[in-house]
Amino acid sequence: MGAYLVKRFLLMFPTLLGVALVTFLLIRVIPGDVVELRYSGDRGAVSQEVIDQERARIGLDQPVWKQLGTWLIGMAKLDFGTSMWTGAPIWDEIRLRFALSLQVAIMATIVAVLLALPLGVLAALKQDTWIDYAVRIFSIAGLAVPSFWLGIMFILVLLIVFKWLPPMVYTPFWVDPWANMQQLIWPALAVGYRYSAVATRMTRSAMLEVLREDYIRTARAKGLWQSLLLRRHALKNAMLPVMTVVGVEFAFLIGGLVVTEQVFNLNGLGLLFVQAVSHRDYTLIQALVMLVAGIFIVMNFLLDVAFAWLDPRVRYA
Amino acid sequence: MSELVASLDVPSRSSRWIGACRDFIGRRPLGAIGAGVIVLMFVAALAAPLIAPYDPVAVDFAAMLAPPSAEHWLGTDAFGRDVLSRLIYGSQTALVVGFGASLLGATIGALIGVASAYFGGRIDLFLQRIMDVLLSFPLIILALALVAILGNSIPNLIIAIMVPMIPRCALVIRSSALSIREMPYVDAARAAGFGHSRIILRHMLPNVMASYLVMLTAFLGQAILLEASLSFLGLGVQEPLPAWGLMLRGAAVEFAETAPWMAIFPGVAISLAVFAFNLFGDSLRDALDPRLRTQ
Repeated sequence: MGAYLVKRFLLMFPTLLGVALVTFLLIRVIPGDVVELRYSGDRGAVSQEVIDQERARIGLDQPVWKQLGTWLIGMAKLDFGTSMWTGAPIWDEIRLRFALSLQVAIMATIVAVLLALPLGVLAALKQDTWIDYAVRIFSIAGLAVPSFWLGIMFILVLLIVFKWLPPMVYTPFWVDPWANMQQLIWPALAVGYRYSAVATRMTRSAMLEVLREDYIRTARAKGLWQSLLLRRHALKNAMLPVMTVVGVEFAFLIGGLVVTEQVFNLNGLGLLFVQAVSHRDYTLIQALVMLVAGIFIVMNFLLDVAFAWLDPRVRYA
Repeated sequence: MSELVASLDVPSRSSRWIGACRDFIGRRPLGAIGAGVIVLMFVAALAAPLIAPYDPVAVDFAAMLAPPSAEHWLGTDAFGRDVLSRLIYGSQTALVVGFGASLLGATIGALIGVASAYFGGRIDLFLQRIMDVLLSFPLIILALALVAILGNSIPNLIIAIMVPMIPRCALVIRSSALSIREMPYVDAARAAGFGHSRIILRHMLPNVMASYLVMLTAFLGQAILLEASLSFLGLGVQEPLPAWGLMLRGAAVEFAETAPWMAIFPGVAISLAVFAFNLFGDSLRDALDPRLRTQ
């Protein structure tokens, strides 16, 4: 187990480095840079001299490999630098928005798991009955309905039927939990539906697989209660693949809420990313991508560790 | 003996196809419904000029934000453009981008997956690391960055949506191809002195077809969804071209209370299309390769 963990741990670094390189090079291919964009409003009224000075000030005059070196060294020290657009430290730009996106992702996960586990298990137990068909249609629809449109529909129904709109200004949870919930429950539900669909389908297929195993038949044959059999023998073993999809979706959700944030006017990481791209704010884009990809890579590592711990077949393979 | 031979009539190619289709409809009614909706979408896209009641880009300020009526079945938008006509023409955009991106993404992914499994060793390790890197970006973030670099035309949109699909397909195809590599016929092909490209293209690729088709249909729905998301953000298809995601942007949200038809119908169209592709893809997976998991 030790050797496996070490190998798996070390494998994270080439991937992280790859993400860093790809991001660094990709964004420099986007036409225009932050200085050009900032002065573009003045329509050539700014002299080339000023532009050059500004570029030198934020280090854009350096050769690309040198910029890359500075950035990588900074990151190794967990220093992401300052935003090229606002000049504020990156961490100050990200902090509040990260809290918001994280909270929506956590709430969506709760919604998804609460829906997926009972529905998935039920569908598997009643395979090929109308219950199974209903659950499957409900979950395939969850994959089909765009979360951002579902969000628009929520707002529409709240507005027309209940004559009420969720608050548009973000209140942190620790300031006013009630106001915070009133605002964030809707995006969490909109995203959670899709998320639950993915998890329901996985729960169903994993349960179906497990229910065909010999040890389940044995447990049934010796007359074990259905509920105990389900909880102790079947669900426990079916949980591994479900855990994986929930974990992976959660990691992606933190940075991938872009469109839903737009609908609900939420100032989260996704919206920040769109702004950063349109401002060509290289340092901010880099930091955001590294954050989101880093969460995903670490999450995968943790899932693999959990797998190896829970399932001996993995660690001896 | 001669009687036996006579009774073994070999079905012609077309009747075999018809038989397979009938079998699919009988056994998988949900998949057949999905296929039916997909066919309808194709008909709508191809015959759009014939069935659409209005020009999709014709502005009519006299009929701005008109509710659904006999003239405009699904109402009009903030420019007085007919929503139904825009939905019908929008199916063209959805299908072109959806098929373009998923065909390219699944094919390139399949080639990389098979090559990775076939060569093994260092090449496999190297390709897998690249796929890992691509997989670490959330779908929408990668597509967004690519659109920003390439600019937003339809071909560029297809590329931006295709790239995130590549590693997802390569991963699945690689694992199917790994077992095929050990098959005697691959050894035989190698012993016969065939080159790498011939073995990969002629001997291995056809045998991962089932996984390939399943991935392809799974991608179709996702590609349509991603196109709608990008267009909704204003980074995909541009006005005045009719596209479902674009129709939900701006005025649709602004006037949601007074003209809800603008926000409702395009979303229904997106959902229905993706739903149909997913239903069909699911049934295809169950029929071809039940052990494969998509999404």
